[in-house]
Amino acid sequence: MVNFTIDQIRELMDKVTNVRNMSVIAHVDHGKSTLTDSLVSMAGIISSARAGDARFMDTRQDEQDRGITIKSTAISLYFAMTEEDLPDIKQKSDGTGFVINLIDSPGHVDFSSEVTAALRVTDGALVVVDCVDGVCVQTETVLRQALGERIKPVVVINKVDRALLELQVTKEDLYTSFQRTIESVNVIIATYNDKVIGDVMVYPEQGTVAFASGLHGWAFTIRQFAVRYAKKFGVDRSKMMEKLWGENYFNPATKKWTTKSADAAGKPLERAFNMFVLDPIFKLFDSIMNFKKDVAFKMLEKLEITLKNDEKEMEGKLLLKTVMKKFLPAGEALLEMIVIHLPSPVTAQKYRVENLYEGPMDDECAKGIANCDPNGPLMLYVSKMVPTSDKGRFYAFGRVFSGTVRAGLKVRIQGPNYIPGSKTDLFVKSVQRIVLMMGRGVEPIEDCPAGNIVGLVGIDQFLLKSGTITTSETAHNLKVMKFSVSPVVQVAVECKNPADLPKLVEGLKRLSKSDPCVLCFTSDTGEHIVAGSGELHLEICLKDLEEDHAQVPIRKSDPVVQYKETIQAESSVTALAKSPNKHNRIFMKAIPLGEDLTLAIETGKVGPRDEFKARARILSDEFEWDNQEARKIWAFGPDANGANLMVDLTKGVAYLNEIKDSCVAAFQWATREGVFTEEQMRGCRFNILDVVLHADAIHRGGGQIIPACRSAIYGAAYVAQPGLMEPIYLVEITCPETAMGGIYSVLNKRRGHTIGEEQRPGTPMYTVKAHLPIAESFGFTADLRQATGGQAFPQCVFDHWQLMNGVSNEDPKLIEKVLSIRKRKGLKEEIPPLDRFLDRL
Amino acid sequence: MSNSLSGPSNFADDGSAVIARQLEVHHSKLASEAQDKIKACSDIYEIERTVGAIKDRGYKRIALQFPDELLPDSGLVAQLIRNQTGSSVFILADTSYGSCCVDEVAAQHISADAIIHYGRSCQSPTSRLPVIYVFGKQPVDVQDCATVFDGFFAKDKAQKVILMYDVIYAHCVGKGHSVSKDCRCESLLSTLEGEKSYTNIVKSRVETESNLGYVLSSQDVSKAAGGCCQKKSESVCCGNKQASSTESSSSSCCQSGEKSGDVACGSSTGGCAKATSTMQQAGAISTGMTTTEETPGNNKRRRFGRTYNLPEGDSIEDYTIFYIGDESPTLSNIMMTHSKCDTYSYNPEKKQGRLESAQVNRALMRRYFLVQKAKDADVIGIAIGTLGVASYMTMIQHLKLLIESKGKKAYTFVMGKLNVAKMANFMEIDCFVYVACPENSLIDSKEFYRPIVTPYELEIALSKSREWTGDYVTNFQELLPDDDKIGMDKIKISQAQLDAASDREDEDGSDVDSDEDDRPHFSLVTGQFKQSKKYTTNKEDSKELSALIEGSKDLTLRDKNTSVATLMSSASGEYLQSRQFKGLEVNLGETPVELATEGRAGIARGYKTEDGYGDRETEKY
Repeated sequence: MVNFTIDQIRELMDKVTNVRNMSVIAHVDHGKSTLTDSLVSMAGIISSARAGDARFMDTRQDEQDRGITIKSTAISLYFAMTEEDLPDIKQKSDGTGFVINLIDSPGHVDFSSEVTAALRVTDGALVVVDCVDGVCVQTETVLRQALGERIKPVVVINKVDRALLELQVTKEDLYTSFQRTIESVNVIIATYNDKVIGDVMVYPEQGTVAFASGLHGWAFTIRQFAVRYAKKFGVDRSKMMEKLWGENYFNPATKKWTTKSADAAGKPLERAFNMFVLDPIFKLFDSIMNFKKDVAFKMLEKLEITLKNDEKEMEGKLLLKTVMKKFLPAGEALLEMIVIHLPSPVTAQKYRVENLYEGPMDDECAKGIANCDPNGPLMLYVSKMVPTSDKGRFYAFGRVFSGTVRAGLKVRIQGPNYIPGSKTDLFVKSVQRIVLMMGRGVEPIEDCPAGNIVGLVGIDQFLLKSGTITTSETAHNLKVMKFSVSPVVQVAVECKNPADLPKLVEGLKRLSKSDPCVLCFTSDTGEHIVAGSGELHLEICLKDLEEDHAQVPIRKSDPVVQYKETIQAESSVTALAKSPNKHNRIFMKAIPLGEDLTLAIETGKVGPRDEFKARARILSDEFEWDNQEARKIWAFGPDANGANLMVDLTKGVAYLNEIKDSCVAAFQWATREGVFTEEQMRGCRFNILDVVLHADAIHRGGGQIIPACRSAIYGAAYVAQPGLMEPIYLVEITCPETAMGGIYSVLNKRRGHTIGEEQRPGTPMYTVKAHLPIAESFGFTADLRQATGGQAFPQCVFDHWQLMNGVSNEDPKLIEKVLSIRKRKGLKEEIPPLDRFLDRL
Repeated sequence: MSNSLSGPSNFADDGSAVIARQLEVHHSKLASEAQDKIKACSDIYEIERTVGAIKDRGYKRIALQFPDELLPDSGLVAQLIRNQTGSSVFILADTSYGSCCVDEVAAQHISADAIIHYGRSCQSPTSRLPVIYVFGKQPVDVQDCATVFDGFFAKDKAQKVILMYDVIYAHCVGKGHSVSKDCRCESLLSTLEGEKSYTNIVKSRVETESNLGYVLSSQDVSKAAGGCCQKKSESVCCGNKQASSTESSSSSCCQSGEKSGDVACGSSTGGCAKATSTMQQAGAISTGMTTTEETPGNNKRRRFGRTYNLPEGDSIEDYTIFYIGDESPTLSNIMMTHSKCDTYSYNPEKKQGRLESAQVNRALMRRYFLVQKAKDADVIGIAIGTLGVASYMTMIQHLKLLIESKGKKAYTFVMGKLNVAKMANFMEIDCFVYVACPENSLIDSKEFYRPIVTPYELEIALSKSREWTGDYVTNFQELLPDDDKIGMDKIKISQAQLDAASDREDEDGSDVDSDEDDRPHFSLVTGQFKQSKKYTTNKEDSKELSALIEGSKDLTLRDKNTSVATLMSSASGEYLQSRQFKGLEVNLGETPVELATEGRAGIARGYKTEDGYGDRETEKY
């Protein structure tokens, strides 16, 4: 731990070129938090005032109990480089002292939203990969997210001790395993790489890959060894680094480097990496674990490691740990890698600005961000809310991208729905205080310049989860974060004592603040719904709600999932609906949108805010739409951005644009509440074929058109092979071969469907990938554990919407499903008859 | 459509369809279908009582209000009454609002002295005219009902049960039936208490209990109400024309009410209720304060014209409700307001009993959702659904005040019976609040474009002092502050409060408390923060506006932008901005000139050239 006064810390913040903001991301259980701990114990900055606090890194009780991280936590580290290492830093820097703001993020898929929030405020990522498990589904997800945010990754291959101690692999095996892991990381990077940040693939020989054991507290990069050997052999260290990885062999006989794995005589040569890097480690392990202390001590001398007397008395693992820590201290290797290879805010914001800012790239805010200018207009993104010790209040946690934020500064608080120039979702308030977030503690500071991460006090009342803080009146928003998970699992909660209702409502509000992803709302049946990304997420949320936020006993229903209504064919007849006064008629047909376009809309590739000509071009080029039709999209729905379209195909209808607003309103309504189950519609296109309108404006007002258009939409969907879609999880289960039988039987019982199964190279572990309906997933983890004797651990992440077999109003099974949904919603338990929606001419 | 118009116009048909329209009505037993029409008629419609009451007070012009389903009998009833009293009798049909409410306005068109209301009634207190309620009696199989009752409660004979019933079955429940000569059936209560030995049954009493009681208590109502009315009628609700007639009628009824009050109570209640209590009830009605009126040692409650006395120390939660009658707004009202009690119902027509409470929670939850919607609304429409229920004007004023105090915009609508098409014509309204009698207030607004809430719900949504507790109030009169009198006084007070409030606001300056008000609230509908729009013009704005108006008198150069922008701060202006269609656009030079061609003829419902045009006449509604 490093002690600083708050003034010293503040001073460091001014040298933005020497700041690194980075997050630690990985699959669950790959050892992020353990690794972070070893960094913090070495380099964590604590203010001298707090140095005595015993539990500096105070984490949640449930995090400790479950052994998983739930909330991301920020910590600042201090690292001093040596003068001679400075030239290795390929970007501008100022002095040898570096501040590293590190955010430890949760690895479980259910908490991916925390990762997203962490990534937004950082510029680099330390990707931790288990050397035995390799690249897992969540590794890929978080890496993809990081690259999407233009965040540069470096990789740590963790748990190397496990490979050595448990698997007892040979050096060459270990090398191939490393190489395989690095390759799979690079495949992901290559797939999602954004050219703007340049080549961010990781190469051990460049020092962007570290090998570590978080548990033992040691780590190294090729660079460390290269430095040692460079001195010894008197070679250039960068040349040495290149030799120490890949197809480079050293022939001890000729003392020559070669790229062939055998010498002239055909005798196999040892790989340089194995020889110079792994060999000492293997030898140390071997001698210490096999109690050959004399051999070990001899080696230690060679390596210039001195042990204290009491340390010399240690045996086995304990001694190994101590020795390795001294030999290859984790903090040094990792921090060095971070400082050298991860970008400073100044470097990063230049290329991140396009991705961050919604406005034009030449306005003052964009310029301020690109230059990371502390004197520019303030641009600050609040990525999440952190509860304070004061119940019900939150720190707005975020990153200053431009300008300097001060206590008392009057700022514009722009919520996610802010539209430049309007007053919606805009508040002008002053920041009461600003604080540095240090672990769980905070330190008040006066101001904070661009490039740093801060907590703001006093604006939590105006932002629910995230938003933009600025001083410029012309500022657009910083882009809203896109989460990889969505709240697909819901439970209804109610308080056991009706009198506690106000507390519950307040609790729901606090809960939705405290978690970036959770959604709390009231269903139209009046139930309070908490929606989360998965069972575990919900469990944690409800626990928080009950214990912290509402502090009243609550009762919860069984989890339910949302369905979507869709259509499977073009309407068999043209749907006609008349207005209540019979004077207006709307003719409509429904056509499936196609899964490709639906996904394009859902991912935002095609959206309501696009310029209509550009959108029409995309639609006609990629989705085979008629260009003219594509220009006549009236609306996206539901909520004006969903994956259903209403298209005007009428020709020469008088007053048509007069009823457009009414039609759009009806369309939003109808797509929000589908005809059979009142679930949202998805993937439907409604073509207005013709409209007959009364000549007198009063007879074609909203009152007439809305009901007519709504029933036309319902009618058109009704005769277009209506179907139901259910959400599907992608499940990844890692387990030994013996547990496979159990997995299959559990999957079968739950309508699961295996899509892949492979053995992890070099391990006895298998990875099974399957699709599992979310509706069937409740209790899946527990079931699986039971069926496999606790050997299988699944990761479930929402994957796609799956059409259920059959037609909603014909297939008996589907009818049953529809009726059960209607029953749950308190609707009439019957399929509404078609003649309610279709009129005769 | 008057005769002067010849034939259909271009824009609408001749309205013959409306006249010829067939209505499906729920048939109850009609007198005109009986063998002995006159006998049946005077039996069901209690002609004798009515006539007696009319004669007592000397009403000259009498309005008979019938619901649609009883209209076939109206002629006969009117004839009988006219013959027996010699007064002029008018039949009112097709009420503007619910047929359960007394339509005072319609009665005033004919300057009636009194209204006789037939059929199901919501028993909402009225403000102006004396009303006589005639419910019409429908038969109940008392033995069967008692058996059903047994089925529910036989386990515990000491269970506390409140008997409630639809007004049309009032005649066969109470002990007082023996007073009534017409009623030949046994009393349910005596059956239950006598034969089946239930011990803890509490009977609710409909306000107009026995035949003579109807007249009297309603007289009391009108008397007391009339007392207040004198003040009110002068300026508030009715035009000056009616004022004199109302005054005269109410004063006349005051005298007679005074005179007959004691007699009535003595004879009708048979010692069951004291004369003073009747007076108290009447008082309660007239002041519009009807929730729970607890006199020491007498746990009396009144809701929707029903009164029940609970033994001392009992609370309503301990009781189970047994309701006699079909599914009706009355039943759902009772269940909503007694949501903590189990409710069983007995349907005398189908002779079935069932537990009703299961749905009530659902219904309440649904209302809770609507409250949340109301909370999010920026523009609120006050739809007026009654012109008869006492103190509705006060309520409207109260609501306006409430809405405006939150910086939201209120519009007032008078639109008769609500329907989907009518309500959807006002797309800029986010939420409607419906001021109507309790039985008409609960509108399940699934089909409506915008939610429709009751005044109570709006109060919960907007006012900090009220919270959703699961208790429910459908009668808006219970919302008004107790100490306020109805009528003009209250309105004056409100006005004064409004002024005071606005003054205060000005003094405080907007910055201090605006911080509190500005704060977005957490919307439970969307799960997001909702920033409320502020439509109340603060002083600066209004100054500006007045300056603008002032300025407009002079000849000034008009700046196009500012004049528009100033108006845009209003709710409707803002809505217009968000619309895609903003009125006819003159695209001068952009529209190609074309020769006129002959278009379609007829009306849109079926143009003459179209197929199926001939069908439209036979089209079913």
